[in-house]
Amino acid sequence: MINRRDFLAGATACSTAALILPGIAGATARFDPQPGEWRSFRITTRLEIPKADGAVQAWVPLPALEDGGWILPVGDKWTGNEAAAEIVTDPKYGAKLLHARFAGDQPSTIEVESRFKTRDRAATLNASGKAAPLSDAERQIYLEATELMPTDGLVKQTADEITASLSGDADKARAIYEWVVENTYRKAETLGCGTGDVASLLLSGNLGGKCADLNALYVALARAAGLPARDVYGIRVAPSKFGYKSLGAGSETITKSQHCRAEVYLSDHGWVAADPADVRKVMLEEPPRDNAIDSPLVTAVREKLFGSWEGNWLAYNTAHDLVLPGSDHKVAFLMYPQAEIAGALLDCLDADGFKYTITSAEITA
Amino acid sequence: MAAALLLVSGATAAFSAELARWTGEPKPPLHLESLYHGRVSLDDHKGRAVLVHFFATWCEPCVEEMASLERLAVRRQGDELSILAIDVGEVDARVRNFFKRNPASFPVLLDRDRAVIKAWQVKALPSSFILDSNLVPVLFVERDVDWDDPSVNSALDELIKTLPRDDRRDVDKREADENDKPT
Repeated sequence: MINRRDFLAGATACSTAALILPGIAGATARFDPQPGEWRSFRITTRLEIPKADGAVQAWVPLPALEDGGWILPVGDKWTGNEAAAEIVTDPKYGAKLLHARFAGDQPSTIEVESRFKTRDRAATLNASGKAAPLSDAERQIYLEATELMPTDGLVKQTADEITASLSGDADKARAIYEWVVENTYRKAETLGCGTGDVASLLLSGNLGGKCADLNALYVALARAAGLPARDVYGIRVAPSKFGYKSLGAGSETITKSQHCRAEVYLSDHGWVAADPADVRKVMLEEPPRDNAIDSPLVTAVREKLFGSWEGNWLAYNTAHDLVLPGSDHKVAFLMYPQAEIAGALLDCLDADGFKYTITSAEITA
Repeated sequence: MAAALLLVSGATAAFSAELARWTGEPKPPLHLESLYHGRVSLDDHKGRAVLVHFFATWCEPCVEEMASLERLAVRRQGDELSILAIDVGEVDARVRNFFKRNPASFPVLLDRDRAVIKAWQVKALPSSFILDSNLVPVLFVERDVDWDDPSVNSALDELIKTLPRDDRRDVDKREADENDKPT
């Protein structure tokens, strides 16, 4: 646990390194995502909610984020015994979900298939350019506080301390990334991907969590520093081609492979990738585990996860504080299937009790 | 590390660095569904000292603090202290599972849509308010507290001593009336 007064730690310089991954005997591996061939995937989300005392509603996130540089949704279809189902698009963030209703007098089942294309992304941050500007409305959305991501108080104070000596947006964005890498840790006990309660995280002085916590912290700090930023909620769909076991799906069953990342908007480059949480994941989980922050295994990904990420992951949406259509329930983010029985929300982190499964397959035509 | 809570009655009250004397506005009414106590209203506890505790099951300090809060509740049975724990923003099933493993003798309220935490302007978990007999906040802690700490218990004793006798009788009568209801 760190003291909140000791947040600022000097960011260490790090360099790209070729390394030998312990899990791949004798193989030399790098972590260097670069835009290349597009890959096509099909993910299938299957809900099987037991016969219930009351009406059942379910909501399944669908691929909605579209960026010609690295992700393109292709289409969605579904089959099941629903009484009604429709695709709903959130007007604020553009998040898409399938909203299904069931009578509940028999087990409620629905299988949703989504196809999308993706590839590695990488920004050339040492070159100047000109990206399409954000509209005023988008800028406002991606600078504002959410219910769990305040941008004032200790968040603002911390952001100011991190960026005090910096003037350029790219330098500020990078400094916040390095600060999150240096000052947080991945906590194995955190349920799911965490909750993203940034204020509680900072005020507790215990900066442990998972991607929804650590990358939300990045986004909140960036927004507090005046940089438009957003969480991108999604799921890992394939192993890492760079050999990092911790940075990919372990099998075609991806029911518990949800992962959220972050993006920061820089006027020269547009939306730029940032995933400090995955650096901490490599530190904790990548064999042989408990890797030092300056180990080659970690520095290789740390160098790249600001500006790039690998195309083995589906981005659903960037929404926060989403009211589920047809319900009073609101979710802080939509990365898991949701369902309610007679108005009572099921525990989306309890996939076996819920119950749902998610599988992924790469489509090779 | 849990915060120590010190309450010294009177105008010269002094507190530990972690504890703030509440100087803000009174808090709005509070009505919430609970896990096992039906719908709970803060007004029903008027005349008693009330500890309103905001927490979540994912919050590590909250989990540790909950055990000491339960020990406090057991020690304080018969005292004029009500404890209301408010779970923030979680599905009922997750909260229910938590308290199956960690039973609590006090009501656990469910702020499912975070409406109460927003209305009470609570910024972080865990947070606790200690209210006087008129349900006006006296003290506020924006972190975990060791409810076994002797200074905490002295503070609660001091607060309970200040409770108006009439209010205490009203509460006693309400509780007696409640007990007389057919079951």
